Amino acid sequence: MTTSSSTRSWATPGRIAAIIAALLGVVLLVLIFTNVNQTQALFLGLGVGALIAAIALSVTLNYQGSGVVNFAAGAIAMYGGYVYYGLRVNGQLFLPPLPNPLAPIEGIVHLAGNKSFNLPNIPVFITLAHPGAGSSSFGTIIRQPAMPVWLALLISAGVLAILGLLFHLLIFRPLRNAPVLAKVVASVGLFIIMQAIVVLRFTSSAKAVTSILPTSPTHLPRGVTLPSDQLYLVGIVVLVTLGLWALFRYTRFGLATRAAAENEKGAIVLGYSPDFLAGVNWVASTVLAGMFGILAAAINQSLDPITITLLIVPALAASLLGRFNSFIVTMLAGLGIGMLSSWIQYLSGQSWFPKAGGQPIPGLTQALPFVIIIIVLVLRGKSLPTRGSVETVKLPFAPRARGAVPTSLIGGVAVAVILFVTSPDWRLAIVNSLVGVVICLSLVVLTGYVGQISLMQMALAGISGFTLSKIADAHHIPFPFGPILGAVAAVAVGLIAGVPALRVRGVNLAVVTFAAAVTIEQMVFANPAWSGLKGAIVAPPRLFGLKFGPNDSWSKLFGGGEGLLPNPWFGVFCLVVVILLILAVVNIRSSRVGRHMLAVRANERAAAAAGVSVSGTKILAFGVAAFIAGLGGALSGYRFGSVTADYFGAIPSMLFLAFAYLGGISSVSGAVVGGIIVSGGILTTFMSHVLGIPETYTLFLAGLGLITMAIFNPKGVAGALRDSGHAIKGRLGRGTTPKADAEAEAGVHAKVGA
Amino acid sequence: MAILSSSGLTVTFGGKNAVESLDLKVEQGQLVGLIGPNGAGKTTTIDALTGFVPARGVVTFDGKEIESQSSTQRARGGLGRTWQSSELFDDLTILENLQVAAERVTVGGFIRDLFKPRNDDVSELMAILASLDLDHSAHLLPTELSHGQRKLVGVARSLAAKPKVLLMDEPAAGLDTEESQELGTRIRGLVDGGLSVLLIDHDMGLVLTICDYLYVLDFGQLIAEGTPAEIRADEKVIGAYLGQRHAEGENDG
Ligand SMILES: Nc1ncnc2c1ncn2[C@@H]1O[C@H](COP(=O)(O)OP(=O)(O)OP(=O)(O)O)[C@@H](O)[C@H]1O
Ligand SMILES: [Mg+2]
Repeated sequence: MTTSSSTRSWATPGRIAAIIAALLGVVLLVLIFTNVNQTQALFLGLGVGALIAAIALSVTLNYQGSGVVNFAAGAIAMYGGYVYYGLRVNGQLFLPPLPNPLAPIEGIVHLAGNKSFNLPNIPVFITLAHPGAGSSSFGTIIRQPAMPVWLALLISAGVLAILGLLFHLLIFRPLRNAPVLAKVVASVGLFIIMQAIVVLRFTSSAKAVTSILPTSPTHLPRGVTLPSDQLYLVGIVVLVTLGLWALFRYTRFGLATRAAAENEKGAIVLGYSPDFLAGVNWVASTVLAGMFGILAAAINQSLDPITITLLIVPALAASLLGRFNSFIVTMLAGLGIGMLSSWIQYLSGQSWFPKAGGQPIPGLTQALPFVIIIIVLVLRGKSLPTRGSVETVKLPFAPRARGAVPTSLIGGVAVAVILFVTSPDWRLAIVNSLVGVVICLSLVVLTGYVGQISLMQMALAGISGFTLSKIADAHHIPFPFGPILGAVAAVAVGLIAGVPALRVRGVNLAVVTFAAAVTIEQMVFANPAWSGLKGAIVAPPRLFGLKFGPNDSWSKLFGGGEGLLPNPWFGVFCLVVVILLILAVVNIRSSRVGRHMLAVRANERAAAAAGVSVSGTKILAFGVAAFIAGLGGALSGYRFGSVTADYFGAIPSMLFLAFAYLGGISSVSGAVVGGIIVSGGILTTFMSHVLGIPETYTLFLAGLGLITMAIFNPKGVAGALRDSGHAIKGRLGRGTTPKADAEAEAGVHAKVGA
Repeated sequence: MAILSSSGLTVTFGGKNAVESLDLKVEQGQLVGLIGPNGAGKTTTIDALTGFVPARGVVTFDGKEIESQSSTQRARGGLGRTWQSSELFDDLTILENLQVAAERVTVGGFIRDLFKPRNDDVSELMAILASLDLDHSAHLLPTELSHGQRKLVGVARSLAAKPKVLLMDEPAAGLDTEESQELGTRIRGLVDGGLSVLLIDHDMGLVLTICDYLYVLDFGQLIAEGTPAEIRADEKVIGAYLGQRHAEGENDG
């Protein structure tokens, strides 16, 4: 590993300084040349800037402590806000869904037809205090807070500390020697879980929060007036930053963490176990993010599950600017990004601001961190400093599929028959799963074969869907060419976002693609010029007069007459696309490109020394994955008859990574399993229709499954099935495991040689 | 003219020179040894020649200055290397490991493979494996081999790319004396067949018998160069390296 060379490459502080200077320069220019309103807008960004800075500090702390780029830092801040809210307003501490040993019994009884049968549930809240006046029942609006501020803050801090410790002990310690991929996946799982828990307990609508810090207006020079709580928040974040800086510079603990970040032996020499350091840093970073979440929610006077969570994007930009090791640069960058966002927000309210569909162009504040991330990556041309830990846990094995053609033909015929005989609900579930398989396949190529993580696959699918709707349909481009045009557009957008990250090593692609997904979601999908209230309409597919859209009428094969929608022929169409893509992805694995991809995944240095173009291979994989995702987007456009912002975008992209990883990220059969478990697919339909488990639990279970898979079984469900299949076959004495195969073959060779 | 040469090659890690203005030459068809105690800068030299660490100085390969080329470009140009810790592709079989090095990807070929993957001819690669007694392991995974065998696979993989010059980083580490002598004979055979080799090894017996010419590094500095006979007699080398080795009771020449 070239660890020390890269951590020491403070060789380009000039460039970083230039970016920071540029950020501050813009701030300064605004100050000098503009009116008081603009200056005011700039400073009103200090509050959110402080929160961004705090989340970014938490990310950097985690990276130093345990080498994890924590995508869940924003979600932790949001979660902290809700812990405080629950305590202060209701006097209740909410609990995550815990496994209920009675649930399976209940499920079986429900299955037997008795849906009213109910056993006791595990509590969802622990009540610590009762609201002063009125009813204490959950759901009613209570004016009198149940708990004093200081007590609620104290308990929240304690809860956050315990959470941080649990994250370390249950998730990231088991992953300490795992590849970066597994760590990122686990943090994505954490993101999904924290969000899902809050939605389960508090619904996704915003809550009104009262302020904590004094809000009296403070008058600053140049006629700027700010609520003083914003200034307090900045003061606190500056103090925390200085504290961290001093801690890491002057104490043995900080030195040991820095040493461990470079080489775990270094920490041991200083008398600390890297494990202990990682644990302490997890607790610190969780408390830091969570407490700032509380304070920031109080400043916004509103709390919802998504706003603070997505501040992870600007926070990652700030951490990247600070090279994941400088607290001071990170903090300044966070404040700067917050201020610029607020200024852009102000400008977009002006009459001269460019409009789209009568509204100011949306999403520019989301685009800001994305642009900064891209600039940093292009200028830096070097990766994050990699940590010098030993990766002993490997990525899941990517097997060569055998007998893919007969298997998929037989499977295809079976699914086609089922499409015609099942009820509309199940038909829809199958179609949803088929679309899901396509997206999962795109992740198999990119993440499974090349080890790069994209958190924008659904956004790319959406780009394709929008292209199909807005360009292909509008210009009457006929059926097979419309989706292909869409897929090509997905490739183009994907490459613009991905190439700067793919040129350099590390988890940059995950960071960039997540920022890109958020930007695309806000700028394109939510753009009123492109998507009306119903989203963008997609006309049903037609080929040679054949109508196979989901809402085209069809006659039953046997017995005649009109069948219920959706049209099973649309399912057959999706099935054909899926089978063709499955075979193509299987062929990639067993061809030259596939070998090069796996070589890059296994060892980039050795691949380069073998003459493989590492960045070329990654870019090719990213392009292929974008194309496949684009086809998936076109299918889902046809499926819904429109494309909407909430189906594509950042969070669905994360979820699809979860489904693909759960299914088995490194094999085509894994993609099939992944498709089965997507929301709205076969598994969730089974759970809700047969077991009576509400769909709202899907996200929680997906996140939980993702983390579990990352830790225990990176091969996914498909890998586990394959292993047990081999084991059973082995025991039956017929087929053999691959290893036994190879040994048998070796034996044959040996005999021939003898 | 030498097929591979460096002049003033310098690599700095955190203010310390791991290799300092090294002038080195490998003539066409020559077997050149690079020796020195642990941490002398041997691996770093290979890394610098193949573009894996940033370096200063001039590197000439096959008549061209190659400092500005990436490691992939250098490898494709015929500058091959092996790794001290074998660095195999763990998810690919031994044969597939060799295929990666032997085969190039083109866009056209990729699109054709999407529909029908070619059955690439592997007879040459099997011959390389056979020459290193690895043909029985062709369909095994690297994790199923012993450490010594993995090192040999590393050698086989670098040969699969048909290099003009091969830089080998301790290929014999992990082999027993007999095996490493056998490997030495094979390397000599490759060189007699026209390959040029820069060989790093701690087995002095091996290096001193098979090499045509030797460079000795210590603390990143070149402390001696010459034919095996000259090196054997060199006071500085004995002081810095051979003496220490003798004291440790290792193989000597
Ligand atoms: N990436 C790196 N960053 C910092 N220092 C390094 C790096 N790689 C090597 N070094 C240092 O450079 C010096 C030379 O190391 P090198 O690996 O080239 O030695 P070597 O001669 O190959 O030793 P060995 O016989 O043990 O393989 C050593 O002091 C080593 O610690
Ligand atoms: Mg070495």
